Amino acid sequence: MYMLQATDIYKNFGLLQVLKGVSLQVNKGEVIAIIGPSGSGKSTFLRCLNRLESVNQGKIEIEGEIMVENGENCKAVYNNEKVIAEMRRKMGMVFQNFNLFPHKSVLENIMMAPVLVQKSEEEQSEKTALALLEKVGLSDKANNYPFELSGGQQQRVAIARALAMNPEIMCFDEPTSALDPELTGEVLQVMKDLAMEHMTMIVVTHEIGFAREVANRVIFMDDGLIVEQGAAQEVLLSPRHERTKAFLSKVLMAR
Amino acid sequence: MDYVFKILPPMLEGSIVTLQLFFLTLALALPLGIILALARMSKFKPLNVFMQFYTWVFRGTPLLLQLFFVYFGLMIVGHRVEPFTAASIAFVFNYSAYLAEVFRAGIQSIDKGQYEAADVLGLTRVQTMTKIILPQMFKRVIPPLSNEVINLIKDTALVYAIAISELLRAAKNAAVRDDTFVPFIVAACFYLIMTAVIQLFFKWLENKYDYYR
Repeated sequence: MYMLQATDIYKNFGLLQVLKGVSLQVNKGEVIAIIGPSGSGKSTFLRCLNRLESVNQGKIEIEGEIMVENGENCKAVYNNEKVIAEMRRKMGMVFQNFNLFPHKSVLENIMMAPVLVQKSEEEQSEKTALALLEKVGLSDKANNYPFELSGGQQQRVAIARALAMNPEIMCFDEPTSALDPELTGEVLQVMKDLAMEHMTMIVVTHEIGFAREVANRVIFMDDGLIVEQGAAQEVLLSPRHERTKAFLSKVLMAR
Repeated sequence: MDYVFKILPPMLEGSIVTLQLFFLTLALALPLGIILALARMSKFKPLNVFMQFYTWVFRGTPLLLQLFFVYFGLMIVGHRVEPFTAASIAFVFNYSAYLAEVFRAGIQSIDKGQYEAADVLGLTRVQTMTKIILPQMFKRVIPPLSNEVINLIKDTALVYAIAISELLRAAKNAAVRDDTFVPFIVAACFYLIMTAVIQLFFKWLENKYDYYR
């Protein structure tokens, strides 16, 4: 059974078709990097997987349970809210802009969902939160507020916050795109550590280096479709498709 | 100076009525304003349209007129209410309309990423509002809120028109009786002291919320 399976996903914003039939299977422990030019639909696709966006058509299953599938006249029908909430609990999400809660301290940011959603004991959640902070190398920042941290530190807190819910899949939506170049390294390092622990990860990214080093599979999307996918080395070093070649030469040239 | 001390007791009494109306209005209009703001942003069309209508009516007519409507209007349909009750009703309706717009602006200024973050963490809609959105909204609306609150303390003078013995009426009575302008100066001082206290309070509030950005 796949950890996550998306089949023939269609999504449009008004008249704009953003996803034109995207399918993806994710195995447990796999690290998948989704690359592609901006506007290719890669972020939208990721957001559809955890129900931040609704699909118009297609099927999404998580560990065999159906989140959404086509009903009559091929319109997507979602499972009931409770089941979906349960599924989403298995997915952690890290945003491009961190989206930390500015009025809460770092520790409170991480503890909030475990306490409010999982109804964990405050003491236990605090222990877990501190352990996670240590993991992302920010033990000394527990009582700081987000505005006192650098972008890289904020993103590491955001990762810790997502991990506090014990997700089985971690989704990253361009996690380093809002960071100064010198701060991307610390975030990528935390993500590498996660990959080493066999966390299932789906990463939308522009970091070709990270994709090459860490991802088991690289997916190249363009114009709402998956153009090419395969082992990282294959896709990144010897792409078959012209559009992949063109994209890679552009981003690698920019470095 | 002796004269000032002589008129002080009735004017203090008047201020108490002023302050009663002030605090009662705040206590009811603040929570009502939040509820109305949420109603205004509701995806449920009729509620949304009703709120636009509500805001239009209560912001679009003079508060004094609303006061007359409630007081004399109720009297005409056979409900004699105390002037103070009528004043409270008119003030709460009027101020909740203004406050709802202040709160709505505050809520809408919160980045949608905050909702998404709460959403993916599994917070319910109520938790998202009470724990994430409203606390941040509150910090942002402190400046416009202080405007409304200062307006409110001055607007209480309007109830003069339906024969409530508040501060301004106390001043007017003394001025007419003793043929002097002094009571108005005293009244001005009273209002200035009250607005000064409000300003200090809001300054304190702003400092209190300055722990994050």
